[in-house]
Formats: sequence, C-alpha cells, structure tokens
Amino acid sequence: MNLPLSLTRFLLLNGPGYMLGYGLLAVAALFWVFWPGKGLWARLSRGHMNTQRVLLEDALKALFDFEYRRHPCELNSLAGNLNISLDKASRLVERLLQMGLISMAGQGLSLTDTGRSYALRVIRVHRIWERYLADETGVAQVDWHHEADRMEHQVSPEATDRLAAQIGNPVFDPHGDPIPSADGELPELRGKPLSQLREGDLGRIVHIEDEPKSIYEQLVVEGLYPGMPVYVTDVAENRITFATDGDECTLTHLFASHITVEMMPGKAPQRSKNALLSSLEVGESAEVAGISPNCRGQQRRRLMDLGIIPGTRIAAEVRSASGDPVGYRVMDTTIGIRKQEADLIFITRKTTSPHEHA
Amino acid sequence: MEKTTHHLNPEDLLSAANQARWELGVNFHDDIIESVYEDATRIARKTVRQKDENAAYRQDLKIDRIITSKWLGFPIMFLMLALVFWLTVAGANVPSGMLASLLIDTAHPWLKAGAAALHMPWWLDGVLIDGAYLSMAWVISVMLPPMAIFFPLFTLLEDLGYLPRVAFNMDSLFRKAGAHGKQALTLSMGFGCNAAGVIAARVIDSPRERLIAIITNNFSLCNGRWPTQILIATIFIGGLVPAAWAGLVSAGAVVGVAVLGIGFSLLVSWGLSKSVLRGEASTFSLELPPYRPPRILQTLYTSLIDRTVFVLWRAIVFAVPAGIVIWLVANVHVGGLSLAEHFIQATDPMALVFGLNGVILLAYIIAIPANEIVIPTILMLTVLSSSLGGLGAGSGVMFELDSIADTAQILQAGGWTVLTGVNLMLFSLLHNPCSTTIYTIYKETHSLKWTLVSTFLPIVLGLIVCFFTAQIWLLLT
Amino acid sequence: MSTPNTCETCPVHHKANLQKLGLNLDNIDFVLALAGNPNTGKSTVFNNLTGLRQHTGNWPGKTVARAEGAYVYNDRRYKMVDLPGTYSLLSTSTDEEVARNFILFGQPDVTIIVADATRLERNLNLTLQILEITDRAVLCLNMMDETRRSNIEIDVRGLSKELGIPVIPASARRREGMDQLLAAVEEVASGTYVCRPHRIKSHSPKLNRAIANLASKLAVLYPDLPNAQWVALRLLEGDNSIMEAIRSGELGEIGTSVEPAQI
Repeated sequence: MNLPLSLTRFLLLNGPGYMLGYGLLAVAALFWVFWPGKGLWARLSRGHMNTQRVLLEDALKALFDFEYRRHPCELNSLAGNLNISLDKASRLVERLLQMGLISMAGQGLSLTDTGRSYALRVIRVHRIWERYLADETGVAQVDWHHEADRMEHQVSPEATDRLAAQIGNPVFDPHGDPIPSADGELPELRGKPLSQLREGDLGRIVHIEDEPKSIYEQLVVEGLYPGMPVYVTDVAENRITFATDGDECTLTHLFASHITVEMMPGKAPQRSKNALLSSLEVGESAEVAGISPNCRGQQRRRLMDLGIIPGTRIAAEVRSASGDPVGYRVMDTTIGIRKQEADLIFITRKTTSPHEHA
Repeated sequence: MEKTTHHLNPEDLLSAANQARWELGVNFHDDIIESVYEDATRIARKTVRQKDENAAYRQDLKIDRIITSKWLGFPIMFLMLALVFWLTVAGANVPSGMLASLLIDTAHPWLKAGAAALHMPWWLDGVLIDGAYLSMAWVISVMLPPMAIFFPLFTLLEDLGYLPRVAFNMDSLFRKAGAHGKQALTLSMGFGCNAAGVIAARVIDSPRERLIAIITNNFSLCNGRWPTQILIATIFIGGLVPAAWAGLVSAGAVVGVAVLGIGFSLLVSWGLSKSVLRGEASTFSLELPPYRPPRILQTLYTSLIDRTVFVLWRAIVFAVPAGIVIWLVANVHVGGLSLAEHFIQATDPMALVFGLNGVILLAYIIAIPANEIVIPTILMLTVLSSSLGGLGAGSGVMFELDSIADTAQILQAGGWTVLTGVNLMLFSLLHNPCSTTIYTIYKETHSLKWTLVSTFLPIVLGLIVCFFTAQIWLLLT
Repeated sequence: MSTPNTCETCPVHHKANLQKLGLNLDNIDFVLALAGNPNTGKSTVFNNLTGLRQHTGNWPGKTVARAEGAYVYNDRRYKMVDLPGTYSLLSTSTDEEVARNFILFGQPDVTIIVADATRLERNLNLTLQILEITDRAVLCLNMMDETRRSNIEIDVRGLSKELGIPVIPASARRREGMDQLLAAVEEVASGTYVCRPHRIKSHSPKLNRAIANLASKLAVLYPDLPNAQWVALRLLEGDNSIMEAIRSGELGEIGTSVEPAQI
C-alpha cells in the first residue's frame, strides 16, 4: 500500500494520546532542524562556507591591521591574532606566500600590493556591513562585529557597493574607523590610545576597538562612542579617569588602550549633565540640547528633520494609551516618540511657559 | 583617457570628496540640518506672529487626550474598527446578492444557453463558462462589495487623521514583539485585503520591520475569509447552542478567530525578530497630523479607483486560470475517477489526522487565487466525491446555496463534524496567502526567499494548530 | 483634445485662463515640480490645477511613485509632477531620493513648494533645502484659512523678500489663491519674475571650506552647473545619484539647456 496511508493507519491505531506525543516530537524535530542560527539546517549550510578562505581573508585583514597601526608582524603575532596554532599559522603563511599575497623579509611579514588590495576589499565589506547594521537594522551593538565578520566572507564587493550606495556611501564605520573606498583608498591613522593621554588632555574618541568582544562589551556598557569628547581628569598607576558629556568614567590602562583618541585643542567639555527627553512629564516643556551619537543613521536624520535640533522648544503633551510612546510638541506639531528614542535626546529644562512662540 | 584640459577628471573629484569626508568626521550631517533650521527659525521669527495661543493646536490636543487616553483609547479603537467591519459585512450582503444573481444566476445560464446554441463542444463550454467565467463572476460578486465599502471607510479614517493615533496607541504592543507601531495599520488594512495590507507596509521605514509586517499580514483575517468564517461558524458552532444564542455565539467565534489572528501576528512577529529577522525594534517617530474633516466624495472616488479596482483586477487575473483548473480537476478522468476524486481519496486519511479532509485540502490548493471561492469549491467537491445525487450544478461547477440548512446538510453528508468545522475555521485563518497577495509580496520585497517564507510559514503553522486541536479534541471526546 | 476657446472667454468661469488637461501630457511648454511636507494639502493643489483626483495618505513614504498631470494657462501647456511628500531632502530614504533627484536632474522650469501656513517654521526646512537646488520656485502658503484659528499672522511680503521667491497665500481646499498661484508660476516660468533664492551660509568653517573646495572643482568640470554648492554638499553626503551622474557625465548636462523653451 502507499506510504501515507499505512503511516496514517499506524498512527490512528495508536489513539490520540500517542498522536499528541508524536505531534510534539514532530514539532520539536521541526524546530531542531530549522531553528535559525543553531538548527541543523543552519549548521549544515554554515559548513558549506569555505573555512580555508575565511582563514586566509582573516589573515590578510590582521596583516593589514598591523601595517596600518605601524606594528611589525611576525608568525607568532599572526598566530596569536588569529587564535590558531603556530603550526597552522606557518602553513597558512606558506600558502599566502605562494599566492603572492604577502612577502617575507627575515621574520617580518608584510602585504604585497595584491594582498593589500584584497585585504582592503574584505575590510570594506566588513565596515560597510557594520555601518548598515548600526544604521538601518535593529541588530544590537555588540553583535555588529560578529555579524559583519560573517558577511565579509560571503558578500561580493559588488553587492556591498550597492548596499553602500543605498545608505549614502558611508566613509566611517560605527566604531569610528574609516571605510576604504571602492578603489582601496584609506586615510592615514589618526590619534593615539586613550591610555597614553595625560592629565588635562582633551580629545575626541575616534575609534573603539571591537575585539575582543568581552572588552568591547564593557566599553559599550560604559556608554562610550566615537565622536565623544573626553577630558582626562586623573591618571593613576593603572587607571585613567576622564569626563565625558558630563559623566565621569574610570578605565584600567588595558581597557583604555582599546580606545583611540584624537587630540583636540580647546576647552574642557561642560560638566553639567543634560536631562533626557524621556524625563519630561506630560505638561512640561524644555529646550532640545542635542541627540546622542548613539542614535544613528536614518533614525537620527528623521528626528532632526522633524525639528529635534539644539535650541528647539519641546513639550510633552500626550501619552499614548499604552503609556509609550509620548507625543511631543515640536514647532506646533505633535510627534510621537518612543521612550527608547527619548532616552537618546538631551534637553535643558527652562522655566519659560511652553506656549510662547517668541 | 584624457578628460579635460584642466587636468581634472571626474574620478579626481570623487576622490577629493572622499578625502574631505574623512576629514570632516562622523556627524557633520548634523551641522547641515542645524544650519538649515537656523535660517528657517530666523525667517519664521521675522515673518510669523503668534498673536495668541494656538487654539487649533489646543483643540486637536484635547481630542488626542481623549482618543489616546489610558481608559478610553483602546475601547474607542475597538468600537471604530468593529463599526467598520460591521458596516462592511452587513452592508456587503445586499449588493453581493444582487451581483451574484446577475452574474451567476442570470448571466451564467444565459451564457450556457448561448454556448449550446453555438454547438460548442461540452469541454470548451465547461472550461470557459463553468470554469473561467464562473470563478471570475464569483470573485467579483463576493469581493467587490465588501472592498468597495471597507476601503472608503478605512480611507476616511485615514484622512480624518485617526489612523496615526491607532499606530500611536498600539506601538508599545508591537514594539514588544520587535515590530513597528505602524504595523497596526498594515494589520488593520489586512482585514480588508492582505494584498493592500502588504502594499501599505511601505510606510514602515526600517527594512527589517517592514518585512515582518509583510510576512505577518496574512494573519489578518481578510474580507475574503469573513464569509467562510461566518458560514461555518453559523453551521457548526451556532448549532451547538440553543437557537436564541446561536447568532451571538457564532459571531463570537468569528471574532475569536480574528483576535487569534492578531495574536498569531504578534507571536510570529516576535518569533521572527528573535530569530531570522533578529534585531531590536528600531525607531518610531510619527507625526500626529492635525485633524481635518475628510472630503467624502473625493475619498470615495479615489479609494475605489486606487485600492478596490486595483486589488480586484489582480484577483480576476488569477481567478480565471484557477477556474479553469477547478473545472479540469473535476472533469478529467483517469481510470474511471476524476483527478479530484483521486486526490481526495489519497489525502483523506492523512487530512483526518489534522481534523480536516481531502476536500478541504484540495479546495485550498486549487482555490489559491481567492479565498472567496473556497466555499463554493468545497461544496462542489463534496458533492462530487460523496456522489450526492441531485445536488449542485454538475462536476466542476462551483455553487453555493441560499439556505444555510441545505449547506449544512451537504457538509454533514460529506462526513463533516464540529471538529471539521472548527479546524476549517482555523485553517482558513492559518494557510497560505491568496495568489494575489503572494504576487504582491514578491513585487514589494523583490525576494523569492521571503515570498516563499510568507507562503509556507502560515501553512506549517496551520497544520500544527489543526493537528493539536484535532488530537486534543479526540482525546477529550 | 482640442483647445476650446469658449472656455477662456466664458464669463462664469472663475479661473478664466485655466483649462485642466488631466493626463494629457502632449506638447508641454513648461515642466513644474510640486513639492512639500506631508499633510500640507499638496495633492489638493495638484488636483485643483490638473483636474485629476490623486489621493495620497498622510504618511511619508507612501507615494514612492510620482504622479503627473497637466493644465493650460494663458495658452501655455504646463506639466505638473507631484513629488512624494517629505520632511527633508537630505536623507537616504527612497521618497526623498525621488524628490531630490527630480528637482536636480529633471530640471523643472518651476518648483511649486506647498507649505502649511500654520506650521511655517517646520515647512521652511524643506523650502530652504529646495532653494539650495533650484533658483526657480514659488511658495504656495496653503491653509491660510486655518491661520485665524491658530492665531497666527504671516507677513507674506516679508517672507517673499526673505526667500527671494513669490509667496502666494492660498486655501486649496476652498480653491482660494489658485489664480494667483497660476499667475506667479507663469511669471517665474517665463522669466518675468527673476528669483533671488535664499541660500544657506551658516555652516561651520570646516564644512564651508570643504564645500568651497569641491565647488571650485565642480565649476571647472561643469561650468554650466547652476548649483555647485548644493552638488558639493551632496557629494560630501555620499549621494549616490550624484556620484553616478558624475561618472556617466549626466551632471554635465544640467544647466546647459539654459532658458525654458519658448513657443
């Protein structure tokens, strides 16, 4: 007899109790196979990714990073950077030499022109994806790097160029790193590690290293971001304390060395901490002081287009039936803004009445 | 390649721009908008005089404080939507009946007579008139009136400025599901027509959330499915209680299915945003526009042209070939049995495990162009497969009966139980979108992958839900 | 369609010289762009002039496609392109790109900007951005009927002087101000009124330097380009359409067809 019929008969013989059990098993199996990221399907298709190519591209990226930061690179440091055994690293180097992607002088490894442009292509894909993830998707900040690490080996430079065009051809990734142009141009490295700053120095964060993840996560929790002004108030033996946006932050030298700072002439940032828009109660009004740099891309532009710019009067007028979002009056229009976004908008409380128009 | 005499070529220009951008740093865009607004504010201060409090704004705000208030916000919203649906369902009955009597009861026999007079071969007459024409007539008569009522009403609410307030009120629910507040709108639009709901998802900026809104739109019980729900609920659920309560209980069952749909919409949105479309809910900045009296005539005209006719046309394009297929499967015989009977017999045992039957499965496969023709197809196939003599209009000819009792009789003769009825209601909610919607999803996403996900995800869910309902039911009875 | 002269002489017709052409887009003399924020009654203006019945919901992003219609005024045939309603022209969203690119590359003879008079400051944001791109524009100050309820008084002449373009108070829903709008559009299109559009200068010195540097390069490459400052600014923003237009040479064509076609 045909299979579905005999299967059905078998199932029916067992009665609904067993059927339920089988059903649950079937659903569980479905989940096990198709669960995104961790299911069998995802694992099998990941296995398809050419691990050799991934390793090779990672090595080129690492070598480029050494070169960009003007550090010498040897077999040891490469193996350490890629977290592979010396043995494996030397085989990898062998291959790269054969392919003409790197050259060797004594112990020092360096990229050939071909190798450099290959590395720049991979870096471009990586950084554009990070930018895209940060600006256009809701992917959490700590996952950008990991996600982009996956994409950089899968997506073609052409597809990346199209993506870049879509998001306004960005020139910086969300960590503050410059994105190489399609022709492989990249500006010189700016700034120095935060750990090298002295008391009284004023600078601006230009880069936050996103590897290793454990350190990066900590820095994200501290609320640090590229573009943030820092003013060093105290340097102790293994600790550096600095003021940012009115907040004070203390990091160990290890952590501080993961932050690159561009020195700035001028005065220290204001010590007064701004209130957040979300703290405004319905009926209160204030003046917009600025939008946090953690609000990026389209989201930031949209808020500014709606009139959320420094100096604008803003008043909380109406709360949604579910409590969030709140409608704010900006230039005689009610704009609904979620608490999540209102947390990213700084205000200065003023005592003037909310309804004047100057 | 030499470009200009000034030793400057376009590539140099682009490269210079790149260098300048690296030098300008991360957030110089702020500077640009700020300087535009700086001038805007300066000019406005010079030329605009606010003589007194802005009374118009105050008044809108007063309305807003009621419409979005903690206690009244949601009741008002449900009342408004219930009113729209009631007007749609109740108001569509009469014109639908008129269209049906014109296109199906009058024009169809007339066409048949004409074909007979022309000595048209029976198969050509069947394919063209019983298949293609009848399915088109059916789609028009069942689809046009509700849409012609729903869309103008919906557009009126939109023009009035009420819909943005719905999004404003519902946002937090959708945010928790990882979706966008404006999905409340695409969802309500989906109650009219899923294809229109999918198009409406354009108002969502974030691609991730837009995709979620598109994929889950099918869980809004669209106009085409309301008649099925109402009929089956009346027969099987209403039949469970005393006649006095039947109307209320079956209406409650239909509303229950619609609410279940909203639940699935949120659940699946949540599931998607935790897995394949991982991410936090992105931005929500929505202007609550001033209330303005809508212009009724203009709204009527434009919503009829822009939405109703557009959607109807797409449905007709798909209904015609489907009608042909429906006729063919009922009339092409292999080994003494029609294709339809072969399929029904082969799948019946399997379908019973899901509390459905072979007829329902086949009907949902061949009636993919429009949910409107599912019930007539089911009736035709039931009569065909259980050889009920004297009923219906012949094999391959869809039909419906005026009397609900007669319909119930046919279905019960086809072996339907209360469980079959309940599961048909569930499956009608949770199955693939109609082909018009599938096509629209493809047009909107340009992605085969997401079109396939939107198509098959609801079927898998539907089968799972039906399976457990059936088995728990059998366990308890 | 023939041109019925009876209509023009007909005394009861309140807009004596207007004839709505709907979708008839033949033999066009002038191309107009219709821009504005969402919720400003832009489509009402469009429908009033062309006789079409365009409906756009009050959502940004909804109408990505643009609608076209036409009318005849004083024997000249005008084509009107209804652009998506946007708050700004500086973002990467599709609707803003469509609007921005049409005003720049489509080179409309006149851009009509519809603004909500009761929310002028907010609407000026878009207006000023449009004046950065084009130097032929008319501001239609819509919803004037509502300014009384909002207790707002607008110095229309002062506004016109500040912006350097004609400003026409109107209430499109009541069909008020349409005559004056048509006349102003004609004056700008035919060159009788020469606009002196307001341009933004208050950028930071660093940005100003970058703009000036690129604009000078642009001036060398494309001497006819009327809005080099804006193009430079867009290049700094990474605007892909402009980068493509530079690569393809399309940018060089802007401004070369200097004056609008005369009949």
